[in-house]
Amino acid sequence: MGGIRKESAWGAPETLLSSLDTIINWARQRSLWPMFFGLSCCFVEEAAAFTSRYDIARFGAEVLRGSPRQADLLIVSGTVFKKVAPVVLRLYEQMGEPKWVVSMGSCSNSGGMYDVYSVVQGVDQILPVDLYIPGCPPRPEAVLHALVELQEKILEERPTRRVLGLKGGTQGSQGDPLLEGRTKARDPRGPGYQGTQLRGDSATPPHFRGNRSFLVWTPSAPCFEMSETDQGLAGQLQERFPGMLFLEMPTVDMCCFRVRKEVILDVLRFLKQDAIPRFRRLDDLTVLDESTRQGGASRERFTLVYHLLCFDPPRRLRLKVGLREDDPLAPSATSIWPSANWYEREAYDMFGVRFQGHPNLSRLLMPHDWKGHPLRKDYPGRATEMSPYTREDARENQPLGATALLPEAWEGEEESLILNLGPHHLGTHGLMRFVLRLRGEEIVDLGMDIGYHHRGVEKIGERQTWHQFIPYTDRVDYLSGAANNLSYLHAVETLGGIEVPPRAQFIRVMLAELFRISSHLVWFATFAHDVGAMTPNFYTFREREKLLDIVELITGGRLHPSWFRIGGVAQDLPQGWKEAVDSFLREFPKRLAEYEALITKNPIFRGRTRGVGCLSLQDAVDWGLSGPNLRACGLAWDLRKTFPYSGYEKFDFEVPTAPDGDCYARYLVRVEEMRQSLRIIEQAAREMPPGRWISQDYRYCVPERKDSLQHIESLIHHFINVTQGPRLPPGEAYVATECPRGEQGYYLVSHGLGYPYRVRIRAPGFANMQVMPLLARGATIADLLAIIGSIDYIMPDIDR
Amino acid sequence: MAQDGQFPSWLLPLALYGAMVLGLMAVLLALCQALGEKKPSSEKLRPYECGIVPTGSARSAYPLPFYLVAVLFLIFDVEAIYVLSWAVVARRLGKPGWVVMFLFLGILLLGLGYVWRKGGLDWGVSGRNRLGEPQRPC
Repeated sequence: MGGIRKESAWGAPETLLSSLDTIINWARQRSLWPMFFGLSCCFVEEAAAFTSRYDIARFGAEVLRGSPRQADLLIVSGTVFKKVAPVVLRLYEQMGEPKWVVSMGSCSNSGGMYDVYSVVQGVDQILPVDLYIPGCPPRPEAVLHALVELQEKILEERPTRRVLGLKGGTQGSQGDPLLEGRTKARDPRGPGYQGTQLRGDSATPPHFRGNRSFLVWTPSAPCFEMSETDQGLAGQLQERFPGMLFLEMPTVDMCCFRVRKEVILDVLRFLKQDAIPRFRRLDDLTVLDESTRQGGASRERFTLVYHLLCFDPPRRLRLKVGLREDDPLAPSATSIWPSANWYEREAYDMFGVRFQGHPNLSRLLMPHDWKGHPLRKDYPGRATEMSPYTREDARENQPLGATALLPEAWEGEEESLILNLGPHHLGTHGLMRFVLRLRGEEIVDLGMDIGYHHRGVEKIGERQTWHQFIPYTDRVDYLSGAANNLSYLHAVETLGGIEVPPRAQFIRVMLAELFRISSHLVWFATFAHDVGAMTPNFYTFREREKLLDIVELITGGRLHPSWFRIGGVAQDLPQGWKEAVDSFLREFPKRLAEYEALITKNPIFRGRTRGVGCLSLQDAVDWGLSGPNLRACGLAWDLRKTFPYSGYEKFDFEVPTAPDGDCYARYLVRVEEMRQSLRIIEQAAREMPPGRWISQDYRYCVPERKDSLQHIESLIHHFINVTQGPRLPPGEAYVATECPRGEQGYYLVSHGLGYPYRVRIRAPGFANMQVMPLLARGATIADLLAIIGSIDYIMPDIDR
Repeated sequence: MAQDGQFPSWLLPLALYGAMVLGLMAVLLALCQALGEKKPSSEKLRPYECGIVPTGSARSAYPLPFYLVAVLFLIFDVEAIYVLSWAVVARRLGKPGWVVMFLFLGILLLGLGYVWRKGGLDWGVSGRNRLGEPQRPC
């Protein structure tokens, strides 16, 4: 305001312009219209700022607008991926004038913790940014603060000249995007480090001269003992395929066979159809690049790894196929399991392994015109090792046209309409792109394009120490927070044979279940919203905030606590945790009953969801579905019961199922799961065992503070484990836990260093998503949105 | 009622109000059109389709069922005009009029039956997927 008064000395017309400036600015600052635009985790906090506790409407930004035409504020919340950057730029350009840009969160500001091949190192490289919100993720209060700051900034603009079409004046976001290396620092460590060399690259982990970590002795990994079932299976396989497969010994977690490439399809078919017991589900299919493995050079260039699952009795099985060529060809398993389709495409995309007989072997996660195969060891891991991403790149590298993404060519006589739904759409819950072929309102065919949220987390895993990787796991499924930590650590602890004390186990279970409820609450709100009920949003986010208060009390974080540690948790429970949990336990059942009163018997809701998006159990198993989506097809399969971990066997709870396999069944299962989680939390809180909260095995753990202050041994362990990181014994482990969205598995391969050799994440959404065309064909667009809501996927875990 | 074609005085406020409304609308629209910064570019003028370049035209493929429904509606709508105008003078026309009208209605009814049988009224989703299998197994 002061500035305006000063310049009014220029003369009478200027005085008039200044007064008009004041009026226009006042009007503009109180009526900002943010666009409904979220990229990743940050958007959850941005959305929370619009719900009842934070209520951004108080500050003059009422509703999120669905289209860029109606919006004048772009809050870039989350990671800007190279695949989605052209979309971000287009949306910005399609907004009217004037417009403002707020960059929310470290990823959008600078790439944040994702200095990786697929991420633009800051949205300011493609757009001019008015305001940056720091944080990973920033809290909702930070969004409110940013809005107030932006209003202050608007007050300093001089829009009248622009409005009247005169020369001069300022309004909206100004200036050019920054150029990495020219107008912004390119070094991931900040400016001033150009002289020093980066530690390690994609092929070799950081190495320090005189590092004695190779000399540190570690006990060997625990040994898996074969049960009678396993021995019987090994006998059957060896009898049927003599000389073609070999039992691999010793293993850490399950039975493992090395199979010759020629017979792999026969072996898979036999295991699925005729073996005793039958392995009916393909859990995961991935590839290892063997080229830089330490300790004993492998003759193979790549190894193809299959993980199979048997439901009864609960067993897992790993098959490995060696591939020697640099440009290998393997047989495709799509004829046995349809779900192999995406897994093989991903393997092709990431490693360049081709599959013979695959119906559509093309890139899945990376853009269609990408060069190279990122998970190969000779591919650079960091974005800062590649040339900077610029606005010109965003203009050139457009996503693939819609026709190419439809599975079937159109042969009908009538014309059909092709419609893109996503990546920017309110109903797709993240950066997901559906391509619909429509006849009237009916979906004739559905194509999908994923990878707009590919954060390269598997590649990052190869350069982080076992501890350092924990914060990345939180962000794999960003609505499940600590439950992600558990999946990863469960795999690490299996590999290292690390005992977790009972108190730590109970704390972990309690937090994982709190996050299950929190995740289901967000699902409840969005699903109800998708079929037209707005009210539950405001109710469930209210309870979710109370729940996050407990999480904050215990861990200090909200969305991403990163609070579990190898061998336990970061700290003991704080004072007052019991009262907080108890009060939530008292309160929540009443609230849940309220939500149900609104929705469960609501005739509109039932009309929209019953008989919509039906899936048979057979299809669900073939396509590798897991979690509530599988249980809604009538199978009581829950890893907490079938492969108990972290002491779940000590808890009394039921596995809810529903027989119908439609959207309504999926709804019922999740609502009941919230009740069961509540029971588990109640038991965990009531019977919380006393004692240690981190393992005494300081070889792998960060020691308790008081120990490292008193014993030199513990201090050394502390020092080693937080700097170079603990060494885990060579070996591999695949372990899955029951996350809110299904089975999240970590396949960790160690070659005896402080860094994983390969981190493979088996995400529930990846399998759940593939089944979409089956559910959507023949339905209407309105049904599709109900189906999307009921499947409850989340993009970072599909794209990783 | 006013006489000699004079403008009735009680209509004056309404006319004034109407003129004000129209005037305000015109001013607002004209201001919107005249003021403000415009930066047309090929990207900005492109139709918005979730941030992706649209494929094909949105005008080419208009589904026939909607057209059929619209035509059928028109036909049966026109029928209502005849029925209503006949109803006004039904007594005066007497029995012959009644016979003719019901003949007309009968012919229309036959037409409706024909359209129905031909599937002209089935214009919802087919409920079948691409392979011709029923979509809803449950």
